[in-house]
Amino acid sequence: MVKTADKIEEEIRAIFSADTPWVTIVWDDPVNLQTYVTYVFMELFSYSKTRATELMLQVHNDGKAIVSTGSREEMEHDVARLHEYGLWATLQRGDQL
Amino acid sequence: MTSTEGFKRQGDHTYIAHFADSEKEVLLNLCEQIIELLAERRDHGHEDPLAAMVGITSHDSPPDDEVLHRLLPNAYTDQVDASEFRRYTESTLRQKKQAHAMSMRIHLKSSDDGDVDLDHDNANAWLGGINDIRLALGVRLKVENNSHEELELLSPDDPLRGVYAVYTWLGWLQETLLAALIDDFDEDEESALSNG
Repeated sequence: MVKTADKIEEEIRAIFSADTPWVTIVWDDPVNLQTYVTYVFMELFSYSKTRATELMLQVHNDGKAIVSTGSREEMEHDVARLHEYGLWATLQRGDQL
Repeated sequence: MTSTEGFKRQGDHTYIAHFADSEKEVLLNLCEQIIELLAERRDHGHEDPLAAMVGITSHDSPPDDEVLHRLLPNAYTDQVDASEFRRYTESTLRQKKQAHAMSMRIHLKSSDDGDVDLDHDNANAWLGGINDIRLALGVRLKVENNSHEELELLSPDDPLRGVYAVYTWLGWLQETLLAALIDDFDEDEESALSNG
């Protein structure tokens, strides 16, 4: 699950090319169950089980993962919903990663 | 304390569980503690009533209490942005978390025989509510620093041993509800595939 620098650069480029420079990050937490984190991603973002599981594993293995990208307002909304379900989430500009 | 089978799916999008009296009591007690903790945060805010009506609070710094801090975390790593966001959103987050705990309390209180019957929205409220309790207990157990192996080995007279037993039981309970819910997703995905 280790990300190469190229892969990260590619993701950052994708963020900018879509003109949506804000990101929501979920951080690893020792309490939240893996199944729970996967379910919350499926439920809040309508991600497939496969996509949600990939993101959960990225949080678990890398300590964090970008779970959504968009405008600042959209990311504030996503973070608020993730906090409602107890996930440890923050938002920031994509160019400050 | 696992005398029940946890949650099971019954028919379409209905989730049922049976709780023994002792389990009901423990759950009710924990829900009430969470509701009270969140209410204390509200009471200490000295909120301007007019501002409170539109959801603005006087809180612009994270709670000192470690448990509250984990339940109401910062949305930004930048302190100025975090404070601003908190002023406008913390009361809504508190209300949602209280609503989750209250949903659990209402279901448990209104069940004489210990049977609980949830629809999809109630199930999500329970998942969030159980999770908040686990987060709170996790702070008390310092799960950040103590491994599960260390917690398993707590001596019988250590007061944290009972806390850890409840913590693991709630994890198991949450897993059974998740298994029932994710079952639905599997079926939905399969039918979407076969329809495509």
